[in-house]
Amino acid sequence: MAVFKPILTRYIHRKDSHTLSGYKNVGGYKALEKMFKTMAPDEVIEEVKASNLRGRGGAGFPTGVKWGFIPKDSQKPTYLICNADEGEPGTFKDRLLLSKAPHMMLEGMIISSFAIDCHLAFIYIRGEFYQEYKVLEKAVEEAYAANFLGKDILGSGFDLDVVIHRGAGAYICGEEMGLIESLEGKRGWPRIKPPFPAVEGYLMCPTIVNNVETLACLPHILNRGADWFKSIGSEKGSGPKLYCISGRVNNPGVYEEPLGILLTDLIFKRGRGLIDGRELKAVFPGGSSSAILRADEIDGLQMDFDSLSAAKTMLGSAGVIVMDETVDMVSVCLNIARFYEHESCGQCTPCREGTTWLVKILNRIYQGKGSLNDIDMIFEITDNIGGLIDPEASGGSFGKTICPFGEAVAWPIRSFVEKFEEEFIAYVEKGVDVS
Amino acid sequence: MPLIKIDDREIEVEKGITVLQAATAEGIEIPYYCYHPALSIVGSCRMCLVEIEGMPKLQVSCNTSIGELPPERKKDGKYDMIVRTQTEIVKRERENVLEFLLLNHPLDCPVCDQAGECFLQDYSYKYGRAHSRFLEEKRVRKNEYLGSNVIINHNRCIMCTRCVRFTREISGTNELFVQARGDNSKISIFEDKSLDNLLAGNVIDICPVGALLSTDYIHKNRFWNLEEKKSICTDCSVGCNILVYSQNNRIFRINARENHSVNGYFICDIGRYGFHRYEDAEKVTSPLIRSDGGFKPISWEGALKEIYEQFSRSKDGEKHQIVGIASPFHTNESLFMFGRLMDNIFKDKSIIGKLPFIEDYEIHFDSGFRISKDRSPNRQGLLDFCLNLEDEILQKVKTGKVRLCYALDDGVDRKLDEEWESFFKSQRFLVVQTYAMTPLAKLAHLILPGPSPMEREGTMTNDQGRIQWLKPSVSLTNKTRPDWEIIMEFMNTVGKRELKYSSVNEVNLEMGERFPSYRGMTFFKIGYQGLPKKNIATSRPSEGGQAGNTVT
Repeated sequence: MAVFKPILTRYIHRKDSHTLSGYKNVGGYKALEKMFKTMAPDEVIEEVKASNLRGRGGAGFPTGVKWGFIPKDSQKPTYLICNADEGEPGTFKDRLLLSKAPHMMLEGMIISSFAIDCHLAFIYIRGEFYQEYKVLEKAVEEAYAANFLGKDILGSGFDLDVVIHRGAGAYICGEEMGLIESLEGKRGWPRIKPPFPAVEGYLMCPTIVNNVETLACLPHILNRGADWFKSIGSEKGSGPKLYCISGRVNNPGVYEEPLGILLTDLIFKRGRGLIDGRELKAVFPGGSSSAILRADEIDGLQMDFDSLSAAKTMLGSAGVIVMDETVDMVSVCLNIARFYEHESCGQCTPCREGTTWLVKILNRIYQGKGSLNDIDMIFEITDNIGGLIDPEASGGSFGKTICPFGEAVAWPIRSFVEKFEEEFIAYVEKGVDVS
Repeated sequence: MPLIKIDDREIEVEKGITVLQAATAEGIEIPYYCYHPALSIVGSCRMCLVEIEGMPKLQVSCNTSIGELPPERKKDGKYDMIVRTQTEIVKRERENVLEFLLLNHPLDCPVCDQAGECFLQDYSYKYGRAHSRFLEEKRVRKNEYLGSNVIINHNRCIMCTRCVRFTREISGTNELFVQARGDNSKISIFEDKSLDNLLAGNVIDICPVGALLSTDYIHKNRFWNLEEKKSICTDCSVGCNILVYSQNNRIFRINARENHSVNGYFICDIGRYGFHRYEDAEKVTSPLIRSDGGFKPISWEGALKEIYEQFSRSKDGEKHQIVGIASPFHTNESLFMFGRLMDNIFKDKSIIGKLPFIEDYEIHFDSGFRISKDRSPNRQGLLDFCLNLEDEILQKVKTGKVRLCYALDDGVDRKLDEEWESFFKSQRFLVVQTYAMTPLAKLAHLILPGPSPMEREGTMTNDQGRIQWLKPSVSLTNKTRPDWEIIMEFMNTVGKRELKYSSVNEVNLEMGERFPSYRGMTFFKIGYQGLPKKNIATSRPSEGGQAGNTVT
């Protein structure tokens, strides 16, 4: 395989990469011109379908297919929402794009809007991203001034307005239905599906929610073709992917690599190994919602949707969190559980009650007051919130909540206890003060 | 129509309805909390999960609608959906959800108003675990007032959000919301906007557990002590369907009863708490005759004798008048008898009138719920049965010539203005049929004790022309007698008739004979849901003209 050259982040080291002129200097908004001149909306959808682009937000749903779900005969307006509510622990890739390449994302939004016939698009940006919001605001202003947004874009007759909406600090508002509710001005409680947002989303109108990174891929697909995009990465997933490496590595950061890169390469080559030459103990491959992998499970493991799914975890947002030999797994598990307890929206019974129960039990274990029965209870409770990771073993017993938050709690916590049970037992047996 | 199979039953269902609706209609129980047929579907309680063949995971039956499959994709060759509600995995799920719901629940059923009609209690017995595995301390919160009539016990709340959706979708007043997040979330109000709309009491009805409590009923009784009676509300001319709960002839509470042709699932607070004003009133339970500035009880025989004497006392050659005051608060049967008394017995000597109708604002909710401006329950019946109703009776009546004035009292809601007060005061002999010492009753020479609105029985015609049965919620006490019976006695005494109706049903039949639009409106025909009045123009009954002679 030829040496991979970054596509999304190729020019972000330039000081002016976030400006319109900076983006145009490196070929920005060319895809737009090409699209308006040569393509019909359906052709854009077909091109994206052919490119095998899968959503970068976490679920990995094929983008073109999602667009295709918009009802053709709908009398209602269609909306596009860019999901920039990046809140998954260990994930900071969208933030980079928002601050360094906002125009790339905007161009992607215009392409997407054209494809699905949307004339009002929203960017739902995480409330904490204030600097990024300022950059984005400027970028939208510039795009309006240059007629990439507004009425009759580039003389094509296509109108598009973009509105930036800042979130108010809730993890759950990154879930598409929670996001839509929040955007409507309501409490960020995920709405039950069906109907899916492509049929009834924002204001009960057809709505597409795409991740920042997904949208940023679109100009490149249109510029260089679906076949080129498909040629990047492995058969199981194509295109470039931003990986976030954090934790106990020498060189944490965001790295662009093809989908399907080896996890070991990410940690040891791009992340330059663990600090102080320590041993690898475990790793979250896709943010804190993915089940952890032990050091002995990652050899030859490819970072793509299907390979990780086969390894009973997930690519998610590709937030790789590395833990070394000194890390106390019970403490990490408690930390993660606390996060999910805090962020549970409280709508569905299992998630609302279960997360709190888990924290209480884990807390007790951590304080040395646990019992062996507690460990069994963690298995049971996680199973009751989100089901088993293995669809076969669970016998259809997953997906117990409205949104995937249930699984996001259950799978990582269960994986901790499953894979490092001896540490939990040690806490139980030794009692107070285990370090 | 799709053909589905739920467990081992084949059911043909309407396309588009949900699995839960199909199962419920078939009598198959699927437990649920957050679903309510009048509210939007949120699917958050997770109690109604069922197994559906071909679906990778359990589905919430409240949000899974049934469509039709093309022939080649039918399950087992003929079904559009195969649902299983009793498999191991479904049972385990119910157990788990109930375990979660009971984690912080105080298990205080022995002091909970909802006990006995609580879905948490019932489902726990049916589907739950026998013991708790929760070793931690329970979360405890204080009770709070949400409005002047509603208290919330947060510890019992299961966050189904029915109440929140109710204030958004039915009352449209938006007082309730969910405060905080996750396990900290609770039902709350904004400081400056308490839950005090006219439909507020319904949140207590729709709360599936004992979280929302009525200040009016809290800790007053236990559900299993109460006798449930189906009736209709008489506080406006909508005629909402209600359930009246009583013990030992005392009413404890009123809940809404479902009727999609009238009130849907809800009632307003005027009707819900209105029964207290009958309790507060000074009741009349025996015939009373004026004596030395006060009243003294007399027997029914004495009262009727008195009426006869007053009626037959004639001044030579002088024409006299009998004045009848009808009331829109009475049943059709009473009004029919009253009209008969005036038109057929007193004939042209009589003049029949009414007090001004009691009216208030018409209140209309966007959800379609309505409180009529007409705050009497049976204006339509009054107009139907008292055909010669004189609008300007105050001007028409020559007081000096009135021998007898017979008034059906409107009841505790009636206030008399000066004009009417002096009209009644100037009557030579005023007979008032009432259940309480109202301002009108106080002016009477003779008071006849009738039933209070909660004791009445008969049909009422609401402002949409729907005939509904008003059923007695409590039984008659002491010497009170049904209104129609008193009027019948009046007819027998004064008009020398020999009417012997033994129940309101017989009056109802006779009424149907004479008024075609009410023909056949027996209780057995219209039941607890009522029927629209027949579209036959009301005219004076054909035999009415000679009724005085021929009809007995």
